[in-house]
Amino acid sequence: MLAWLRKKTAAASAKPIAQTDAVTLSEVTVDRGERTVLDGISLSLNERSIGLVGDNGAGKSTLLKLLNGLLLPDAGTVNVFGHDTRQHGQFLPALAGFIFQNPDHQLIFPTVAEELAFGLEQLGQSAEEAETGARAFLRQYRVEALADKPVHCLSEGQKQFVCVLSVLIMRPRLLLLDEPFSSLDLTTRHRLLGLMQTQAERVLMVSHDLELLAGFERVIWLRDGGVHRDGVPAEVLPAYRADAMARLHAEPAWGTEQ
Amino acid sequence: MIALYVDRQSWMHRLSAGSKLLVLCVSSMLMLPVDSLPVLSAFLLCVLALYLSAGREMFARIALLRPVLPFLAIIGLLHVLAGSYAQAGQVLIRLIAMLLLANLVTLTTRMRDMMTAMTPLFRPLAPLGLSPRRLSLAVALMVRFAPVLLATMEALTESWRARSSRNPRWRLLAPFTLQALRMAETVGEALQARGGVAVARERVSRS
Repeated sequence: MLAWLRKKTAAASAKPIAQTDAVTLSEVTVDRGERTVLDGISLSLNERSIGLVGDNGAGKSTLLKLLNGLLLPDAGTVNVFGHDTRQHGQFLPALAGFIFQNPDHQLIFPTVAEELAFGLEQLGQSAEEAETGARAFLRQYRVEALADKPVHCLSEGQKQFVCVLSVLIMRPRLLLLDEPFSSLDLTTRHRLLGLMQTQAERVLMVSHDLELLAGFERVIWLRDGGVHRDGVPAEVLPAYRADAMARLHAEPAWGTEQ
Repeated sequence: MIALYVDRQSWMHRLSAGSKLLVLCVSSMLMLPVDSLPVLSAFLLCVLALYLSAGREMFARIALLRPVLPFLAIIGLLHVLAGSYAQAGQVLIRLIAMLLLANLVTLTTRMRDMMTAMTPLFRPLAPLGLSPRRLSLAVALMVRFAPVLLATMEALTESWRARSSRNPRWRLLAPFTLQALRMAETVGEALQARGGVAVARERVSRS
């Protein structure tokens, strides 16, 4: 399977390129009511694969949503390949693809071909062109048998695969992944990640799967709305794990009296 | 009746959506004034024969009629009380035949083709702000999420049963509604992440 995934790399790099190669956040703050979710964060995200770790509520998903324009910063600027998300938000869906945790929340059409065609229509193709394109794309991945399958009949792995394809068909340069593998088996995780890394020039992934993140170029550890540590996985991941364990032992266990 | 498209290629799948809708429309209009029981029964038999010709699996889909049975019973009863058995028979046979025929069209037509065939009918509504694209997206979402919502309800019932021996009945209604609303929000977000409902033609100029 991986062989044909690699074959696709050349085709992907031929896509039209936007103005710059930089993805940056400058002094970005996001408030949700009383709580500050991200607090004056500045980051350059230029590696091929970046992992995001941190506790629940640390601001990981918020960071992803900023890069796709789903959320706008309350202060500071987010720039994705030269597009300020506040001013050029309309370009972002095509540049930064988003894959969510639950495929059932992301697949919006009854059949697989329609799901893929939607992305092409979003890029301005007519319904017929999009339909043809979607089928060709499925054929390229040797899964044309899925084309007319109702989405709700697919297995979890197939569903997430279709989610990935329906985003890849828009040829995004950056992929934003919000714990996309939680319900998938190990083989499928690695397959999908391999596919995405060959198809997009950059991948930014929120995950609790530290094993998977070990193969990334960079890992950012968010805590309380700020960057706690930032570096290669070999440094950040052990520190993150040690910290989580230390806190586990420092606090009384659930169900015990203080 | 929300019937789901069956992904199986029969001769009826290959007919165009427009022609199937036209047949449905014409036969409904023809059958409406007919009162003769033999003619109506023959019509029903023809519809059943169509199901059979599309394959055994498709024939099994007649079971989709089951949720409508109580309503049919009520309608039948009303006609017996207000008229005669014969009249009740006419009405019921006509209704069942038409429901089954309409259902057959849904079963063998992809939503996209259906919407394409119906788009010209929606065009007069465009000045009112109801674009065919929005409409077809709404229909697609409905078809897509009917089974998801059913699964949600099943999951809720299961987790209730795991902790209680009694039937949940109406008490799952509130949690179900909350889950459905939250799901709607997430789905909206996913839609927006891919560019939203607006047609991107004028929007994305990637040169």
